[in-house]
Amino acid sequence: MKKIITTIALLVAVISSAQGQFEQGMGKAFQLWKEGKNTEASAMFERIASADKTSWLPNYYVALVNTTSSFAIQDKTQVNALLTKAQDALDVEMIKDQDNAELYVMQAMIYTAWIVMDPMTNGMKYSGKTMEMYAKAEALAPENPRAVFGKADFQMQGAKWTGIDTKPLCKEVDKSIGLFATFKPETPFSPKWGLDRAQAALKNCK
Amino acid sequence: MKTILFAFVSLFSFTLFSQTTISGKIVNEKGVPIAGANVYIEGSYDGTSTSENGTFSFTTTTTGYQNLVASSLIYETSNTAIDVAHFQNKTIKLRDNVNALDAVVITAGSLDSGSKARVSVLKPLDIVTTAGSAGNIVAALQTLPGTQTVGEDGRLFVRGGEANETQTYVDGMRVPQPYGSSPNNLPTRSRFSPFLFSGISFSTGGYSAEYGDALSSVLLLNTIDEPDQSKTEISLMTVGVGLGNTQKWNKSSFSINSSYINLSPYQALVPQDIEWKSAPQSLSGEMVYRYNFERGIFKMYAAFDASQYVIKQENINSIDKITVDSKNDNFYFNSSYSGFFGTNWNITAGLSYGYNQVKTGIDLDHLGNAENAANMKLKLKKSFSNRFKLSFGADYFITKYDETFTRNSGNKFDYGYDNTIGALYTEADILFSKKLAAKVGIRASTNSLTNDNFISPRISFAYKMAKFSQLSFAYGDFSQTPSVDYIKFSKNNQFESEKASHFILNYQYSKEGRTLRAEAYYKDYSNLVRFDSPTIGYNSIFTNDGAGYAKGLDLFWRDGKTIKNLEYWVSYSYIDTERLYKNYPTQVTPNFVPNNSLSIVTKYWIMDWKSQIGFTNSFSTGRPYNNPNETQFMNGKTKSYNDLSFNWAYLLTTQKILYFSVSNILGANNVYGYNYAIQPSANGEYKRSAIKPAADRFFFVGFFWTISKNKNDNQLKNL
Repeated sequence: MKKIITTIALLVAVISSAQGQFEQGMGKAFQLWKEGKNTEASAMFERIASADKTSWLPNYYVALVNTTSSFAIQDKTQVNALLTKAQDALDVEMIKDQDNAELYVMQAMIYTAWIVMDPMTNGMKYSGKTMEMYAKAEALAPENPRAVFGKADFQMQGAKWTGIDTKPLCKEVDKSIGLFATFKPETPFSPKWGLDRAQAALKNCK
Repeated sequence: MKTILFAFVSLFSFTLFSQTTISGKIVNEKGVPIAGANVYIEGSYDGTSTSENGTFSFTTTTTGYQNLVASSLIYETSNTAIDVAHFQNKTIKLRDNVNALDAVVITAGSLDSGSKARVSVLKPLDIVTTAGSAGNIVAALQTLPGTQTVGEDGRLFVRGGEANETQTYVDGMRVPQPYGSSPNNLPTRSRFSPFLFSGISFSTGGYSAEYGDALSSVLLLNTIDEPDQSKTEISLMTVGVGLGNTQKWNKSSFSINSSYINLSPYQALVPQDIEWKSAPQSLSGEMVYRYNFERGIFKMYAAFDASQYVIKQENINSIDKITVDSKNDNFYFNSSYSGFFGTNWNITAGLSYGYNQVKTGIDLDHLGNAENAANMKLKLKKSFSNRFKLSFGADYFITKYDETFTRNSGNKFDYGYDNTIGALYTEADILFSKKLAAKVGIRASTNSLTNDNFISPRISFAYKMAKFSQLSFAYGDFSQTPSVDYIKFSKNNQFESEKASHFILNYQYSKEGRTLRAEAYYKDYSNLVRFDSPTIGYNSIFTNDGAGYAKGLDLFWRDGKTIKNLEYWVSYSYIDTERLYKNYPTQVTPNFVPNNSLSIVTKYWIMDWKSQIGFTNSFSTGRPYNNPNETQFMNGKTKSYNDLSFNWAYLLTTQKILYFSVSNILGANNVYGYNYAIQPSANGEYKRSAIKPAADRFFFVGFFWTISKNKNDNQLKNL
């Protein structure tokens, strides 16, 4: 009897402690990210990814933090290093699961960041691929607001070069805002970003 | 009871989660602290980021031996096996990541374009948006330093070398006949449409041991690994029509591109200096199939080209014009597999086959030739670390060439040659640090026709002097089977391979959209073929006692930053070269070499007009020619050459482009050289005729339409 209790108690202690560590770690990483400490946040997510190989979220956030950081940086060497890191992290999860729309949205963002870094060299190379990634994401999850918005936004960014009609794209952005409202993240840490960007994009439509 | 249990559990969990402190410092190779590095025990949550002075300290519940990971963006990640109990105040050194964008790269001799190039001299779009290039890969390369524009030939002449001294490779496999056939003194075009290629590496000397049988230069073209989407492309041009289609599936894709070119409508509109009885027309097509495996890619490329023309050419040696009637059929096939296996092994295996047939009627005589050429290749590369890579491989070339000359009288002459070249090579890439790199290789080859063997060393170094500048040096020995023009008469003559050595010193400065390259070189030629008759013929006696040299300076400046929406580059080449070869009595500068060449290429994007406007100006000083009326050989010099070309691409909508281009706007009266009569006229003078372009200007109007799901794609890159 005692043995059983001990075992159960121990088991509970270990499990809850592991559970707690994941949540604590994720919470802390988000905190660091919010404070603008991108390197530390990325490092934290990286450590969680190393400890907990079951969740795709830590590597997803390593990719997201590094990709978004790259947009603010001019130095190409640094951008290259950030995007390589993002891609490596995403690759780990992409191999495990080819049916996760969020991963495709993330891939599209990495491609977009390469285009931003050097449009002359990378524009032709990656714009088709970016669209392909958004198309895959949308096919997997038609109701995913980030897929819908990302695809429309990417085309709108290109519109000043290509001169395509932005009206239908604005409609898509509008639709994504509706989807953001109804979107239910699977876990507290699942991706839910993007509404503010969509709202900002919609302002440009008017 | 409860208390005991609780005490027990907490005791147990204390042992389980007993905490040990890990501490230390992270520094780089120079001992400078690295802030913000990620330090953690692999597989645990225990870790931290280093502080401003590179120190770290964290507690861990793990025990015994663990893997301590330290990583920071621009450094190589380190893995250290540690004993948790005894790892306090230790220093970990991170090495520079030699793969980083700012690491040194060997640049001597090579001009790269495409995604793999760290510093792109040419960008993917350039081939097609360079005014005057008209979608011809070779014409765009002629705006780069180290090349000589030879207007009446159209092929690539590199650093004083003949056109056949450059070998072309597609996906690593040799292309035996890279150019279409053209009449005497009219330029040919490269067979490849730029549409199917993503990366171009053009080496003007000192290239890798992987490539052989080329004295001057190699042009490496790589087909696109993965097209971006399925699409159909239609082009309507003043010179013909084109149709392309790409289908993309999950793991594979297929592209086909075909065109029919007929110059007769154009020639009816624009008067030509040449009398065409039947304007050049050609039907050509290319296709690529790609299949992506888990760890590799298989590619198959095939191209065919059938062309014909009938021309009446003036000839200084006859009163009547000579009628030349030519038909050319060409087929090229290549398949290759490249992939990874084991731990960091890379294998490339390939096979290529080229068939070329030319049938030419010269008045009533007939000349026919056929060439069959194959190339097999196997290459293995092992990456031992980021800093040391070793590759080795084997290459096998087979060529069979037959020519028949039939006189109107019925006399028939058959000649030709068979040749096989076998080669083995090995090469090591060594990165000593982020600042110093070396590539050391050796190639051993054996040639059946010339019956000779070669051991050719290839060495290059690069040193990064400052953040944006570096110095490279390259040395190499090269050998090549003599030109087909000679060796087709090898029945009665024993030839040897021709030889060259290159020494190249390169300086490169590259910073945010601006690139400066300066390259000095010295090239030594030996064993060049000579013959003793006025023209090459069946009765010529050949020797291999020719020699020569080329030395010069190439400058290149590219800037896409200073003026918004303007991209431009300037190439300048100075060359001093002399050769004793062919039937030259003395060592002189050959007739295809101008001493100074200058190209200026500009591209300007005008947003309001949705247009890209470009100008290209090519200038070169006069070329030597031999005037038999003078006693000194090759003493004449043509006047300088200048061509200002213009192009305008206008986006009607994203997927419909209108394109216009015109060459030689200024109408410069360019002369490439002179043909002199073989016999002097009655008053003892040798008469001459100038070699000139077929028309002063070339106009081109085209409409390009892309049909695809992604409305952003267009054929701008094809122009």
